[in-house]
Amino acid sequence: MSNQFYILRVIAIDHPIKDATTVTLEVPEKIRDLFNYYPGQHLIIKFKINEKEVRRSYSLNSSPFNEEALQVTVKRVQGGLVSNYIGDHLKEGDEVDVMTPRGRFYADIKKYAYKTYFLFAAGSGITPIISILKSVLLASPNSAVNLFYGNRNQDTIIFKKELDDLFEEYSDRLLVVNTLSDPNVWSAWKQWNGRKGRIDSEAVNWFITNHPPIAQSTEYYICGPGAMNISVRNTLLGLQIPKKLIHIEQFVGSIEESNDSINPIDNALLSVTLNGAAHQLSIPKGKTVLQVLKEAKVNPPYSCESGVCGTCIAQVIEGKAGMKSCMALEEQEINQGLVLTCQAFPTTKTLNVKFN
Amino acid sequence: MNSKRMPILPVEAYTSVDWFEQEQQKIFGNTWQFAGLVEDIQDAGDYITTQCGHQNIVIVKGRDQRLRAFHNLCRHRGTQLLRAVGKKQKALTCPYHDWTYDLNGQLISVPEKNTEFPDLDLDQICLHKASVDIWRGILWVHPDPNADPITKWFDGCWEKLGPHNPKRLIEYPDTYYEKIINANWKIVAENYIDVYHLAHLHSNTLQMYNHAKAEYGFVGDHYMFWEPLSSEYKDNIDGLIPTKRIQEMTDEYIGAYVPWLFPNLGLSEGEGSWNIFHAIPLAPDKTKVIVRTKLEPMSNWEFTKQQMKSNISWRGIMGGKTKYGNEPDTNSDDPMDWNDFMEEDVYVCEQQQKSLKNPLFGVTRTAIKGESTVRTFQEIVQKWLDS
Repeated sequence: MSNQFYILRVIAIDHPIKDATTVTLEVPEKIRDLFNYYPGQHLIIKFKINEKEVRRSYSLNSSPFNEEALQVTVKRVQGGLVSNYIGDHLKEGDEVDVMTPRGRFYADIKKYAYKTYFLFAAGSGITPIISILKSVLLASPNSAVNLFYGNRNQDTIIFKKELDDLFEEYSDRLLVVNTLSDPNVWSAWKQWNGRKGRIDSEAVNWFITNHPPIAQSTEYYICGPGAMNISVRNTLLGLQIPKKLIHIEQFVGSIEESNDSINPIDNALLSVTLNGAAHQLSIPKGKTVLQVLKEAKVNPPYSCESGVCGTCIAQVIEGKAGMKSCMALEEQEINQGLVLTCQAFPTTKTLNVKFN
Repeated sequence: MNSKRMPILPVEAYTSVDWFEQEQQKIFGNTWQFAGLVEDIQDAGDYITTQCGHQNIVIVKGRDQRLRAFHNLCRHRGTQLLRAVGKKQKALTCPYHDWTYDLNGQLISVPEKNTEFPDLDLDQICLHKASVDIWRGILWVHPDPNADPITKWFDGCWEKLGPHNPKRLIEYPDTYYEKIINANWKIVAENYIDVYHLAHLHSNTLQMYNHAKAEYGFVGDHYMFWEPLSSEYKDNIDGLIPTKRIQEMTDEYIGAYVPWLFPNLGLSEGEGSWNIFHAIPLAPDKTKVIVRTKLEPMSNWEFTKQQMKSNISWRGIMGGKTKYGNEPDTNSDDPMDWNDFMEEDVYVCEQQQKSLKNPLFGVTRTAIKGESTVRTFQEIVQKWLDS
């Protein structure tokens, strides 16, 4: 996976709700192939704000199956540097630095498949989910989608209009259940008659029990805050849904207990194979493998730096590393020696890792 | 050596145990098979079983509302695990030694494990999986866990079927029909798809349809058929229709959609009912037929009223005589007097099977168009046996 940035032009700025900005990016013809993607994947975008370089990953909400330009949608975070920069300053015609689409949370949609997709989203977690939803409807004509979508109130439902339009067109294959944790009650004209509450265990049980799949081959995609992801996942596992059918994208950091019991070795020797070159570095106390590589300016792949996105995955060849947190890897993958370098501390005197 | 053909398949295909066995393996054990209607499995833990050739398959609904299919065979010593149907099971237990599996087919308990099977790893043992899916409100199973999707098997068929939404319709228990026909299953199938006989055998029982305007042909291995209503019937449908008209059967779509889904499920999707016709081969000369009917939801009173109205109008407009001009008489010894197209079909199927033993039996010619369907069907059966 290349870590090169490409310059893309902003060709439209829209606001699907007051506090969210949809950025449409144009991909020049000659690099279009590099920007092919699976629905659910994200882009890493680099900004220079106040002279400081910052990177963020944003899930694509566009679908690769309808030839629309790349689109990401960013909701304002109170005090958030980048989300507010995008909301206040980014405009049509601006150029941004973007890495090619990536991410392990995606749906591989087959034309002849006969599947039912259960999608769970909360808040801005809808972005990769709507990409999967549109792609299934467009590219897998026999498959169906059941979406369970949680928001605070009527005004915060991103893509409400788009989902309504899709339902109109695909009512035989699409089911959307909205649930609001704090619906507006003051205004009669948009009185909420739908479901209330968060997407918690009880709600997931209700959703699954009352919306049995038609196509019996199923997949489950979850994207929302950590607490919701864990709760949905555990509820699905409790219903005896096989683990391999459940896919999770973590949006806002990990809430899993961070593992503080690691005993890193001070000044361990790190050998790295990266972009075809070998490097030998020392890892000072308290630094992660990724931090050392960044400081050495050897251009390591990374994005979220919180153990979520999976961009910085490497294979341990020799030695051992402990991770503070790792939402992006399955237990089995950890056993096979994969590590998230942004979370990894050496626990042996020498550590040899390789990036693919 | 008998070289007589029917006209494609040899006569033995309809009489010999060897052919029957081959069909069980190569056709019924190797294609998507009808297992029931969606509503046959309501709740988590409910299950039904169905036969696919020599393999019995159990379909069970999990707590996630998804269906799973397993070969009905305990992994211990191969005993049949479950009996025909069951409700709300928490787990699946073999009657022989009580080996128990969860609803995902995973072995979860073995009696006296510590002493009798100390090194058995339960996690490594799962029931043999099969495929299950839902298509057109029907449950389908395939013994192969990696079978092609059901939508691929029926690719192109949906468009040729009626506008009905079978899930919305309701099965009335009184309409269930089951009969053992003394004929090979292919004779039953061929009768179902024989267009030529409609205007003749059923001249006074299916005269409400305009057979001359029938449109038919094969999509993949499946036979598709549609014909419009006859003008007398169409013009007086409100009085003549024996049940409530199916809501989706607007004037634009009205007619009879009567496909035969390979190998052994007929559908009959009409103006007032939606039916499945399941032909189950029992022996070379024995086939069990099960017909299940779904109707527009209505009260008993509405049902009775419409039937009476229809009976009265029918005599006036369509005439009430049988094929040979007699008054209908269900007590008669001659099924041709019963004025029931199903019984007419049963009668000719059994008569044809009987004739196969006659030394003079032979098929002189088959109709260019109206029996082309029979020839194609036989070619398809041959193709599966050759594969």
